[in-house]
Amino acid sequence: MREKETTLYLGPQHPGITGNMMVKLKVAGDTIVKAETHVGYLHRAFEKLMENRTWTQCFPIVCRICVPEPDPNEENLARAIEEIEGREVPERAKYIRVMVLELARLASYQLWMGGQSGSMGLYTMPQWTVGDRDYILDLFEELTGGRIYHMYIWAGGVRRDLPDGLKGRVLNVLKYLENRLPDYDKLMFQNAMFRKRAEGVGIIPKEKAIEWGVVGSPLRGCGIKHDVRIDEPYEVYDKLEFEVPTHEGNDIWSRAMVRRQEIEQSISIIRQVLDKMPEGEYYNKIPNPLNWTIPAGDAFVKTESVRGEFGYYVVSDGSDKPRRVHVRGPAYVHGVTVLEEILKGANISDVSFIMNSLGTCPPEIER
Amino acid sequence: MLDKDCNENKCAEQIKKTFQTAEVEVKREKRVTVQLRSDLIPPFLSFAKEFMEFKHLSHMSCVDWVEDNELELVFILWNYEQQVQIIAKTRIERVNAQFVSVKKFWNQAETYEREFHEMYGVNFVGNDRLGEFILEDWEGVPPMLRDFDSIKYSKETFYQRPGREDAQNVRATIAKHSGEEVPGFAKDYTIRNIED
Repeated sequence: MREKETTLYLGPQHPGITGNMMVKLKVAGDTIVKAETHVGYLHRAFEKLMENRTWTQCFPIVCRICVPEPDPNEENLARAIEEIEGREVPERAKYIRVMVLELARLASYQLWMGGQSGSMGLYTMPQWTVGDRDYILDLFEELTGGRIYHMYIWAGGVRRDLPDGLKGRVLNVLKYLENRLPDYDKLMFQNAMFRKRAEGVGIIPKEKAIEWGVVGSPLRGCGIKHDVRIDEPYEVYDKLEFEVPTHEGNDIWSRAMVRRQEIEQSISIIRQVLDKMPEGEYYNKIPNPLNWTIPAGDAFVKTESVRGEFGYYVVSDGSDKPRRVHVRGPAYVHGVTVLEEILKGANISDVSFIMNSLGTCPPEIER
Repeated sequence: MLDKDCNENKCAEQIKKTFQTAEVEVKREKRVTVQLRSDLIPPFLSFAKEFMEFKHLSHMSCVDWVEDNELELVFILWNYEQQVQIIAKTRIERVNAQFVSVKKFWNQAETYEREFHEMYGVNFVGNDRLGEFILEDWEGVPPMLRDFDSIKYSKETFYQRPGREDAQNVRATIAKHSGEEVPGFAKDYTIRNIED
Protein backbone atom coordinates (compact mmCIF):
# COMPACT_ATOMS: atom_id res chain seq x y z
CA MET A 1 0.00 0.00 0.00
CA ARG A 2 1.27 3.47 -0.91
CA GLU A 3 2.15 5.54 2.11
CA LYS A 4 0.35 8.84 2.67
CA GLU A 5 2.37 11.84 1.55
CA THR A 6 2.92 14.72 3.96
CA THR A 7 4.40 18.17 3.44
CA LEU A 8 7.28 19.00 5.74
CA TYR A 9 8.91 22.41 6.00
CA LEU A 10 12.51 21.86 7.03
CA GLY A 11 14.60 24.84 8.07
CA PRO A 12 15.46 27.64 7.67
CA GLN A 13 17.99 26.55 10.31
CA HIS A 14 19.99 23.45 9.48
CA PRO A 15 22.75 21.98 11.63
CA GLY A 16 26.15 22.87 10.24
CA ILE A 17 24.91 25.11 7.41
CA THR A 18 26.31 28.62 7.19
CA GLY A 19 23.16 30.60 6.50
CA ASN A 20 19.44 30.05 6.37
CA MET A 21 17.23 28.48 3.79
CA MET A 22 14.10 26.41 3.90
CA VAL A 23 13.50 23.13 2.14
CA LYS A 24 9.91 22.20 1.47
CA LEU A 25 9.67 18.42 1.38
CA LYS A 26 6.99 16.06 0.27
CA VAL A 27 7.58 12.89 2.29
CA ALA A 28 6.15 9.41 2.38
CA GLY A 29 7.06 7.97 5.75
CA ASP A 30 10.57 9.31 6.24
CA THR A 31 11.49 9.12 2.57
CA ILE A 32 11.58 12.28 0.50
CA VAL A 33 9.46 12.21 -2.63
CA LYS A 34 9.98 15.81 -3.75
CA ALA A 35 12.06 18.73 -2.54
CA GLU A 36 11.75 22.46 -3.21
CA THR A 37 14.26 24.94 -1.90
CA HIS A 38 13.15 28.34 -0.63
CA VAL A 39 15.65 31.13 -0.18
CA GLY A 40 15.07 34.78 0.73
CA TYR A 41 16.21 34.98 4.35
CA LEU A 42 19.55 36.62 3.61
CA HIS A 43 19.11 38.86 0.60
CA ARG A 44 21.19 42.00 1.13
CA ALA A 45 21.01 43.42 -2.40
CA PHE A 46 24.81 43.49 -2.66
CA GLU A 47 24.76 43.59 -6.45
CA LYS A 48 22.39 46.56 -6.45
CA LEU A 49 24.46 48.30 -3.77
CA MET A 50 27.57 47.98 -5.89
CA GLU A 51 25.95 49.87 -8.75
CA ASN A 52 26.03 52.92 -6.47
CA ARG A 53 29.56 52.43 -5.13
CA THR A 54 32.94 53.32 -6.59
CA TRP A 55 35.03 50.37 -7.72
CA THR A 56 37.15 50.40 -4.58
CA GLN A 57 34.10 50.69 -2.34
CA CYS A 58 32.85 47.37 -3.73
CA PHE A 59 35.61 45.37 -2.03
CA PRO A 60 34.19 45.61 1.51
CA ILE A 61 30.85 44.42 0.08
CA VAL A 62 31.90 41.36 -1.92
CA CYS A 63 33.76 39.62 0.88
CA ARG A 64 30.50 39.49 2.85
CA ILE A 65 28.86 37.31 0.22
CA CYS A 66 30.39 34.18 1.75
CA VAL A 67 31.25 33.95 5.45
CA PRO A 68 33.22 30.67 5.36
CA GLU A 69 35.46 31.74 2.49
CA PRO A 70 35.34 35.45 1.64
CA ASP A 71 38.69 35.74 -0.14
CA PRO A 72 37.75 34.24 -3.53
CA ASN A 73 35.20 37.07 -3.81
CA GLU A 74 37.87 39.73 -3.35
CA GLU A 75 40.25 37.96 -5.71
CA ASN A 76 37.58 37.52 -8.38
CA LEU A 77 36.50 41.15 -8.30
CA ALA A 78 40.11 42.34 -8.35
CA ARG A 79 41.03 40.08 -11.26
CA ALA A 80 37.92 41.04 -13.24
CA ILE A 81 38.75 44.74 -12.86
CA GLU A 82 42.38 44.06 -13.79
CA GLU A 83 41.28 42.14 -16.88
CA ILE A 84 38.97 44.92 -18.08
CA GLU A 85 41.49 47.64 -17.28
CA GLY A 86 44.59 45.73 -18.40
CA ARG A 87 46.30 46.42 -15.09
CA GLU A 88 49.42 44.36 -14.30
CA VAL A 89 49.82 42.76 -10.89
CA PRO A 90 53.30 42.41 -9.33
CA GLU A 91 54.59 38.85 -9.07
CA ARG A 92 54.96 39.06 -5.30
CA ALA A 93 51.31 40.12 -4.96
CA LYS A 94 50.25 37.06 -6.94
CA TYR A 95 52.12 34.77 -4.56
CA ILE A 96 50.64 36.54 -1.55
CA ARG A 97 47.17 36.19 -3.07
CA VAL A 98 47.64 32.44 -3.49
CA MET A 99 48.82 32.16 0.11
CA VAL A 100 45.69 34.00 1.28
CA LEU A 101 43.39 31.92 -0.92
CA GLU A 102 44.88 28.64 0.30
CA LEU A 103 44.81 29.71 3.95
CA ALA A 104 41.16 30.62 3.39
CA ARG A 105 40.65 27.17 1.88
CA LEU A 106 42.14 25.53 4.97
CA ALA A 107 40.02 27.69 7.30
CA SER A 108 36.94 26.86 5.28
CA TYR A 109 37.70 23.14 5.39
CA GLN A 110 37.86 23.39 9.16
CA LEU A 111 34.34 24.83 9.16
CA TRP A 112 33.17 22.19 6.70
CA MET A 113 34.56 19.34 8.84
CA GLY A 114 32.78 20.79 11.83
CA GLY A 115 29.55 21.29 9.90
CA GLN A 116 29.57 17.92 8.19
CA SER A 117 30.21 16.12 11.48
CA GLY A 118 27.78 18.31 13.39
CA SER A 119 25.01 17.50 10.93
CA MET A 120 25.23 13.83 11.92
CA GLY A 121 25.49 14.50 15.65
CA LEU A 122 29.27 14.17 16.02
CA TYR A 123 29.68 17.35 18.03
CA THR A 124 33.28 16.93 19.19
CA MET A 125 34.57 17.64 15.71
CA PRO A 126 33.22 21.21 15.43
CA GLN A 127 34.69 21.97 18.87
CA TRP A 128 38.11 20.95 17.58
CA THR A 129 37.97 22.41 14.11
CA VAL A 130 36.50 25.78 15.06
CA GLY A 131 39.30 26.05 17.61
CA ASP A 132 41.95 25.07 15.06
CA ARG A 133 40.51 27.47 12.50
CA ASP A 134 41.17 30.27 14.95
CA TYR A 135 44.93 29.80 14.50
CA ILE A 136 44.45 30.61 10.81
CA LEU A 137 42.26 33.58 11.70
CA ASP A 138 45.08 34.86 13.92
CA LEU A 139 47.32 34.91 10.84
CA PHE A 140 44.68 36.76 8.86
CA GLU A 141 44.29 39.30 11.64
CA GLU A 142 48.00 39.95 11.65
CA LEU A 143 48.19 40.21 7.88
CA THR A 144 44.99 42.11 7.10
CA GLY A 145 43.57 43.50 10.34
CA GLY A 146 40.43 41.38 9.99
CA ARG A 147 39.73 37.85 11.13
CA ILE A 148 36.83 36.90 8.83
CA TYR A 149 36.46 39.67 6.25
CA HIS A 150 39.83 40.82 5.06
CA MET A 151 39.39 43.41 2.30
CA TYR A 152 43.02 42.64 1.60
CA ILE A 153 43.11 41.61 -2.06
CA TRP A 154 42.21 44.55 -4.27
CA ALA A 155 42.76 45.69 -7.81
CA GLY A 156 46.47 46.00 -8.56
CA GLY A 157 47.74 43.64 -5.86
CA VAL A 158 47.27 43.39 -2.12
CA ARG A 159 46.74 46.07 0.50
CA ARG A 160 50.00 45.64 2.42
CA ASP A 161 53.13 43.52 2.44
CA LEU A 162 53.73 40.57 4.77
CA PRO A 163 54.62 41.64 8.32
CA ASP A 164 58.07 40.64 9.59
CA GLY A 165 58.17 37.04 10.75
CA LEU A 166 54.77 36.09 9.34
CA LYS A 167 56.24 33.41 7.10
CA GLY A 168 57.57 31.54 10.13
CA ARG A 169 54.27 31.83 11.93
CA VAL A 170 52.40 30.52 8.88
CA LEU A 171 54.75 27.51 8.75
CA ASN A 172 54.15 26.84 12.45
CA VAL A 173 50.39 26.82 11.96
CA LEU A 174 50.75 24.54 8.92
CA LYS A 175 52.83 22.11 10.95
CA TYR A 176 50.24 22.16 13.73
CA LEU A 177 47.37 21.55 11.28
CA GLU A 178 49.28 18.72 9.61
CA ASN A 179 49.84 17.07 12.95
CA ARG A 180 46.13 17.34 13.68
CA LEU A 181 45.14 15.37 10.56
CA PRO A 182 45.53 11.93 12.24
CA ASP A 183 43.19 13.15 14.98
CA TYR A 184 40.62 14.28 12.44
CA ASP A 185 40.97 10.93 10.69
CA LYS A 186 40.36 8.95 13.87
CA LEU A 187 37.38 11.03 14.91
CA MET A 188 35.71 11.69 11.58
CA PHE A 189 37.09 10.21 8.38
CA GLN A 190 37.80 6.72 9.76
CA ASN A 191 34.79 6.75 12.01
CA ALA A 192 32.56 3.78 11.19
CA MET A 193 29.46 5.83 11.96
CA PHE A 194 30.47 8.55 9.49
CA ARG A 195 31.21 6.00 6.80
CA LYS A 196 27.92 4.22 7.36
CA ARG A 197 25.98 7.48 7.14
CA ALA A 198 27.93 8.82 4.15
CA GLU A 199 28.37 5.87 1.79
CA GLY A 200 25.72 5.57 -0.88
CA VAL A 201 23.94 8.74 0.28
CA GLY A 202 23.46 11.93 -1.73
CA ILE A 203 24.49 10.32 -4.99
CA ILE A 204 25.12 12.56 -8.01
CA PRO A 205 24.95 10.48 -11.21
CA LYS A 206 28.38 10.76 -12.81
CA GLU A 207 26.97 11.07 -16.33
CA LYS A 208 24.79 13.99 -15.23
CA ALA A 209 27.33 15.84 -13.09
CA ILE A 210 28.70 18.25 -15.70
CA GLU A 211 25.35 18.88 -17.34
CA TRP A 212 23.82 19.67 -13.93
CA GLY A 213 26.55 22.25 -13.33
CA VAL A 214 28.24 20.38 -10.48
CA VAL A 215 31.69 21.79 -9.73
CA GLY A 216 34.49 21.46 -7.18
CA SER A 217 34.81 18.54 -4.77
CA PRO A 218 31.29 17.20 -5.56
CA LEU A 219 32.44 16.88 -9.20
CA ARG A 220 35.78 15.35 -8.22
CA GLY A 221 33.87 13.02 -5.90
CA CYS A 222 32.29 11.64 -9.09
CA GLY A 223 35.76 10.78 -10.37
CA ILE A 224 35.86 13.75 -12.77
CA LYS A 225 39.15 15.60 -12.55
CA HIS A 226 38.41 19.28 -13.06
CA ASP A 227 39.76 22.14 -11.01
CA VAL A 228 39.91 25.81 -12.12
CA ARG A 229 43.46 26.03 -10.70
CA ILE A 230 44.54 23.43 -13.28
CA ASP A 231 42.06 24.00 -16.13
CA GLU A 232 42.63 27.72 -16.33
CA PRO A 233 45.42 28.63 -13.92
CA TYR A 234 45.18 32.09 -12.38
CA GLU A 235 47.68 34.05 -10.24
CA VAL A 236 50.69 31.68 -9.96
CA TYR A 237 49.02 28.27 -9.73
CA ASP A 238 50.78 27.24 -12.96
CA LYS A 239 54.12 27.59 -11.15
CA LEU A 240 53.16 25.31 -8.28
CA GLU A 241 53.02 21.56 -8.06
CA PHE A 242 49.95 19.96 -6.61
CA GLU A 243 47.58 17.10 -7.28
CA VAL A 244 43.85 17.18 -7.88
CA PRO A 245 42.40 14.30 -5.84
CA THR A 246 39.40 12.45 -7.20
CA HIS A 247 37.30 9.65 -5.77
CA GLU A 248 34.81 7.31 -7.36
CA GLY A 249 31.55 6.79 -5.58
CA ASN A 250 29.55 9.95 -6.29
CA ASP A 251 28.32 10.08 -2.69
CA ILE A 252 28.97 12.07 0.49
CA TRP A 253 31.80 9.74 1.43
CA SER A 254 33.62 10.38 -1.85
CA ARG A 255 33.28 14.16 -1.48
CA ALA A 256 34.64 13.91 2.05
CA MET A 257 37.62 11.87 0.89
CA VAL A 258 38.41 14.38 -1.84
CA ARG A 259 38.31 17.25 0.66
CA ARG A 260 40.45 15.37 3.16
CA GLN A 261 43.18 14.93 0.53
CA GLU A 262 42.82 18.53 -0.63
CA ILE A 263 43.74 19.73 2.86
CA GLU A 264 47.16 18.13 2.41
CA GLN A 265 47.49 19.66 -1.06
CA SER A 266 46.68 23.13 0.28
CA ILE A 267 49.31 22.81 3.00
CA SER A 268 51.84 21.80 0.35
CA ILE A 269 50.84 24.73 -1.91
CA ILE A 270 51.31 27.29 0.88
CA ARG A 271 54.75 25.88 1.70
CA GLN A 272 55.76 26.18 -1.96
CA VAL A 273 54.42 29.73 -2.11
CA LEU A 274 56.43 30.77 0.93
CA ASP A 275 59.49 29.15 -0.55
CA LYS A 276 59.19 30.68 -4.02
CA MET A 277 57.75 34.11 -3.17
CA PRO A 278 59.97 36.76 -4.77
CA GLU A 279 60.88 40.10 -3.22
CA GLY A 280 59.49 43.26 -4.78
CA GLU A 281 56.39 45.37 -5.06
CA TYR A 282 53.09 44.09 -3.71
CA TYR A 283 50.81 46.72 -5.26
CA ASN A 284 50.50 48.38 -8.65
CA LYS A 285 48.98 51.60 -7.37
CA ILE A 286 45.64 52.67 -8.81
CA PRO A 287 44.85 56.36 -9.40
CA ASN A 288 42.86 58.33 -6.83
CA PRO A 289 40.08 55.84 -5.98
CA LEU A 290 37.48 58.63 -5.89
CA ASN A 291 38.16 59.52 -9.52
CA TRP A 292 39.09 56.07 -10.78
CA THR A 293 37.24 55.07 -13.92
CA ILE A 294 37.50 51.70 -15.65
CA PRO A 295 37.30 51.47 -19.46
CA ALA A 296 34.05 50.08 -20.86
CA GLY A 297 34.14 46.31 -21.16
CA ASP A 298 33.24 43.09 -19.43
CA ALA A 299 34.97 40.02 -18.00
CA PHE A 300 34.01 36.71 -16.48
CA VAL A 301 36.65 35.37 -14.13
CA LYS A 302 36.58 32.39 -11.82
CA THR A 303 38.50 30.83 -8.97
CA GLU A 304 38.46 27.38 -7.42
CA SER A 305 36.88 27.96 -4.04
CA VAL A 306 36.43 25.25 -1.43
CA ARG A 307 33.01 24.50 -2.85
CA GLY A 308 34.07 24.73 -6.49
CA GLU A 309 34.07 27.18 -9.36
CA PHE A 310 33.33 30.68 -8.10
CA GLY A 311 32.68 33.17 -10.89
CA TYR A 312 32.24 36.92 -11.27
CA TYR A 313 30.75 38.59 -14.31
CA VAL A 314 31.70 42.26 -14.19
CA VAL A 315 30.59 44.94 -16.63
CA SER A 316 31.98 48.47 -16.82
CA ASP A 317 30.35 51.28 -18.81
CA GLY A 318 33.48 53.40 -18.51
CA SER A 319 32.40 55.21 -15.35
CA ASP A 320 33.69 55.21 -11.78
CA LYS A 321 31.08 52.66 -10.70
CA PRO A 322 30.29 49.15 -11.97
CA ARG A 323 27.41 48.78 -14.38
CA ARG A 324 26.95 45.23 -13.16
CA VAL A 325 28.69 42.82 -10.79
CA HIS A 326 27.05 39.42 -10.94
CA VAL A 327 28.24 36.66 -8.65
CA ARG A 328 28.04 32.95 -9.42
CA GLY A 329 28.84 30.90 -6.35
CA PRO A 330 28.81 27.11 -6.54
CA ALA A 331 25.86 27.02 -4.13
CA TYR A 332 23.71 28.83 -6.70
CA VAL A 333 23.54 25.53 -8.55
CA HIS A 334 24.43 22.99 -5.84
CA GLY A 335 22.00 24.42 -3.31
CA VAL A 336 18.98 24.69 -5.59
CA THR A 337 18.56 22.46 -8.66
CA VAL A 338 21.17 19.82 -7.73
CA LEU A 339 19.94 19.59 -4.14
CA GLU A 340 16.33 19.26 -5.29
CA GLU A 341 17.32 16.38 -7.57
CA ILE A 342 19.42 14.36 -5.17
CA LEU A 343 17.09 14.77 -2.21
CA LYS A 344 14.55 12.62 -4.05
CA GLY A 345 14.54 9.24 -2.35
CA ALA A 346 16.74 10.42 0.55
CA ASN A 347 15.86 10.04 4.22
CA ILE A 348 14.65 13.14 6.11
CA SER A 349 17.52 12.81 8.59
CA ASP A 350 20.05 13.12 5.75
CA VAL A 351 18.87 16.50 4.44
CA SER A 352 21.36 18.74 6.22
CA PHE A 353 24.02 16.03 5.84
CA ILE A 354 23.57 16.16 2.05
CA MET A 355 23.35 19.98 2.02
CA ASN A 356 26.68 20.14 3.83
CA SER A 357 28.35 17.73 1.46
CA LEU A 358 27.36 19.96 -1.47
CA GLY A 359 28.75 23.04 0.22
CA THR A 360 25.36 24.73 0.37
CA CYS A 361 25.83 28.36 1.35
CA PRO A 362 22.50 30.26 1.22
CA PRO A 363 23.98 33.80 1.41
CA GLU A 364 25.77 33.08 -1.83
CA ILE A 365 22.55 32.05 -3.58
CA GLU A 366 20.68 35.29 -2.90
CA ARG A 367 23.58 37.64 -2.19
CA MET B 1 30.38 15.86 -36.89
CA LEU B 2 32.17 19.09 -36.22
CA ASP B 3 35.79 19.40 -35.33
CA LYS B 4 35.89 19.06 -31.57
CA ASP B 5 39.52 19.99 -31.34
CA CYS B 6 38.66 23.65 -31.19
CA ASN B 7 40.92 26.26 -29.76
CA GLU B 8 39.47 29.74 -29.55
CA ASN B 9 40.19 30.58 -33.21
CA LYS B 10 38.77 27.36 -34.60
CA CYS B 11 35.84 27.77 -32.31
CA ALA B 12 35.16 31.30 -33.60
CA GLU B 13 35.39 30.07 -37.20
CA GLN B 14 32.90 27.30 -36.59
CA ILE B 15 30.44 29.72 -35.03
CA LYS B 16 30.84 32.22 -37.90
CA LYS B 17 30.29 29.46 -40.45
CA THR B 18 27.12 28.25 -38.77
CA PHE B 19 25.64 31.55 -37.56
CA GLN B 20 26.48 34.00 -40.30
CA THR B 21 24.78 36.99 -38.69
CA ALA B 22 26.69 36.51 -35.42
CA GLU B 23 29.38 38.99 -34.45
CA VAL B 24 32.23 36.82 -33.21
CA GLU B 25 35.38 38.10 -31.56
CA VAL B 26 38.35 36.29 -30.02
CA LYS B 27 38.97 38.54 -27.05
CA ARG B 28 42.12 36.78 -25.96
CA GLU B 29 43.45 33.28 -25.49
CA LYS B 30 40.60 30.93 -24.52
CA ARG B 31 37.99 33.69 -24.73
CA VAL B 32 35.39 34.06 -27.47
CA THR B 33 32.57 36.61 -27.43
CA VAL B 34 29.50 36.11 -29.60
CA GLN B 35 26.78 38.68 -30.18
CA LEU B 36 23.60 37.15 -31.57
CA ARG B 37 20.05 38.03 -32.50
CA SER B 38 17.75 36.97 -29.68
CA ASP B 39 15.94 34.33 -31.76
CA LEU B 40 19.27 32.63 -32.49
CA ILE B 41 20.24 32.08 -28.88
CA PRO B 42 18.40 28.73 -28.37
CA PRO B 43 19.82 27.16 -31.57
CA PHE B 44 23.23 28.58 -30.70
CA LEU B 45 23.19 27.09 -27.19
CA SER B 46 22.06 23.75 -28.56
CA PHE B 47 24.83 23.85 -31.21
CA ALA B 48 27.50 24.83 -28.68
CA LYS B 49 26.46 22.13 -26.24
CA GLU B 50 25.85 19.22 -28.58
CA PHE B 51 28.34 19.83 -31.38
CA MET B 52 31.13 21.86 -29.82
CA GLU B 53 31.28 20.19 -26.41
CA PHE B 54 30.46 23.32 -24.39
CA LYS B 55 28.75 21.14 -21.80
CA HIS B 56 29.13 23.42 -18.81
CA LEU B 57 26.88 26.43 -18.30
CA SER B 58 29.21 28.51 -16.16
CA HIS B 59 26.90 31.44 -15.68
CA MET B 60 23.97 33.44 -16.98
CA SER B 61 23.61 37.15 -16.44
CA CYS B 62 21.36 40.08 -17.21
CA VAL B 63 22.48 43.68 -17.65
CA ASP B 64 20.18 46.69 -17.88
CA TRP B 65 21.16 49.18 -20.63
CA VAL B 66 18.45 51.65 -19.73
CA GLU B 67 19.81 54.33 -22.07
CA ASP B 68 19.22 51.97 -25.04
CA ASN B 69 15.93 50.78 -23.58
CA GLU B 70 17.31 47.21 -23.74
CA LEU B 71 18.25 44.33 -21.47
CA GLU B 72 21.26 42.23 -22.31
CA LEU B 73 21.13 38.49 -21.60
CA VAL B 74 24.50 36.82 -21.23
CA PHE B 75 25.27 33.09 -21.42
CA ILE B 76 28.72 31.93 -20.38
CA LEU B 77 29.73 28.46 -21.51
CA TRP B 78 32.83 26.43 -20.81
CA ASN B 79 34.42 23.60 -22.77
CA TYR B 80 36.18 21.34 -20.26
CA GLU B 81 38.15 19.48 -22.91
CA GLN B 82 39.54 22.44 -24.86
CA GLN B 83 39.29 24.89 -21.96
CA VAL B 84 37.68 27.64 -23.98
CA GLN B 85 35.06 30.07 -22.73
CA ILE B 86 32.26 31.54 -24.83
CA ILE B 87 30.37 34.61 -23.71
CA ALA B 88 27.20 34.74 -25.82
CA LYS B 89 25.13 37.90 -25.60
CA THR B 90 21.85 39.12 -26.95
CA ARG B 91 19.70 42.17 -26.36
CA ILE B 92 15.94 42.21 -25.83
CA GLU B 93 13.33 44.93 -25.42
CA ARG B 94 13.32 46.28 -21.90
CA VAL B 95 9.57 46.94 -21.72
CA ASN B 96 7.51 43.75 -21.33
CA ALA B 97 10.76 41.83 -21.64
CA GLN B 98 10.27 38.29 -22.85
CA PHE B 99 12.59 35.45 -23.76
CA VAL B 100 12.34 31.75 -24.32
CA SER B 101 13.45 29.53 -21.41
CA VAL B 102 16.68 27.63 -21.98
CA LYS B 103 16.17 25.18 -19.09
CA LYS B 104 15.69 22.39 -21.62
CA PHE B 105 19.44 22.61 -22.28
CA TRP B 106 20.57 23.03 -18.68
CA ASN B 107 18.21 22.48 -15.79
CA GLN B 108 20.10 25.00 -13.63
CA ALA B 109 19.16 27.77 -16.09
CA GLU B 110 15.78 27.64 -14.38
CA THR B 111 17.22 29.31 -11.26
CA TYR B 112 18.83 32.14 -13.24
CA GLU B 113 15.57 32.71 -15.08
CA ARG B 114 13.62 32.84 -11.83
CA GLU B 115 16.04 35.49 -10.58
CA PHE B 116 15.94 37.59 -13.77
CA HIS B 117 12.16 37.42 -13.78
CA GLU B 118 12.02 38.73 -10.23
CA MET B 119 14.85 41.26 -10.43
CA TYR B 120 14.50 42.49 -14.04
CA GLY B 121 10.94 41.57 -14.97
CA VAL B 122 11.89 39.22 -17.82
CA ASN B 123 9.24 36.66 -18.65
CA PHE B 124 10.82 33.36 -19.65
CA VAL B 125 8.35 31.40 -21.74
CA GLY B 126 8.50 27.71 -20.84
CA ASN B 127 9.74 28.15 -17.27
CA ASP B 128 6.91 27.15 -14.97
CA ARG B 129 8.66 28.20 -11.76
CA LEU B 130 8.66 31.94 -12.33
CA GLY B 131 7.29 33.76 -9.31
CA GLU B 132 8.50 34.61 -5.86
CA PHE B 133 12.13 33.52 -5.47
CA ILE B 134 14.29 35.76 -3.29
CA LEU B 135 11.97 38.67 -2.53
CA GLU B 136 8.75 38.51 -0.55
CA ASP B 137 5.52 40.33 -1.42
CA TRP B 138 7.39 42.62 -3.79
CA GLU B 139 5.30 45.06 -5.78
CA GLY B 140 6.43 47.70 -8.17
CA VAL B 141 9.52 48.12 -10.31
CA PRO B 142 11.76 45.03 -10.39
CA PRO B 143 14.59 46.20 -8.13
CA MET B 144 17.61 45.45 -10.29
CA LEU B 145 16.40 47.72 -13.08
CA ARG B 146 18.45 50.90 -13.24
CA ASP B 147 15.44 53.15 -12.76
CA PHE B 148 14.63 51.59 -9.39
CA ASP B 149 15.93 54.15 -6.90
CA SER B 150 17.16 52.12 -3.92
CA ILE B 151 17.95 55.19 -1.77
CA LYS B 152 14.47 56.61 -2.27
CA TYR B 153 12.95 53.21 -1.51
CA SER B 154 15.04 52.92 1.63
CA LYS B 155 14.00 56.37 2.89
CA GLU B 156 10.33 55.67 2.24
CA THR B 157 10.34 52.19 3.73
CA PHE B 158 12.60 52.33 6.76
CA TYR B 159 12.89 54.77 9.63
CA GLN B 160 15.32 55.62 12.41
CA ARG B 161 14.73 53.70 15.61
CA PRO B 162 13.09 56.09 18.11
CA GLY B 163 15.70 57.60 20.42
CA ARG B 164 18.52 56.90 17.97
CA GLU B 165 18.01 59.88 15.69
CA ASP B 166 21.12 61.60 17.07
CA ALA B 167 23.19 58.59 16.06
CA GLN B 168 23.23 60.09 12.59
CA ASN B 169 26.30 62.05 13.68
CA VAL B 170 28.02 60.28 16.52
CA ARG B 171 31.07 62.50 16.78
CA ALA B 172 29.02 65.68 16.82
CA THR B 173 26.70 64.32 19.47
CA ILE B 174 29.57 63.27 21.74
CA ALA B 175 31.22 66.65 21.26
CA LYS B 176 27.98 68.42 22.13
CA HIS B 177 27.46 66.37 25.30
CA SER B 178 31.06 66.36 26.52
CA GLY B 179 32.25 69.77 25.39
CA GLU B 180 35.17 68.07 23.65
CA GLU B 181 36.64 70.08 20.83
CA VAL B 182 36.48 68.41 17.42
CA PRO B 183 39.76 68.77 15.49
CA GLY B 184 39.68 71.23 12.63
CA PHE B 185 40.18 68.67 9.87
CA ALA B 186 37.10 66.75 11.02
CA LYS B 187 34.80 69.73 11.48
CA ASP B 188 33.59 69.72 7.90
CA TYR B 189 32.17 66.27 8.43
CA THR B 190 31.08 66.74 12.01
CA ILE B 191 29.80 70.15 12.92
CA ARG B 192 27.27 70.81 10.21
CA ASN B 193 24.42 69.17 12.11
CA ILE B 194 25.43 70.10 15.62
CA GLU B 195 23.08 73.07 15.84
CA ASP B 196 20.16 71.17 14.25
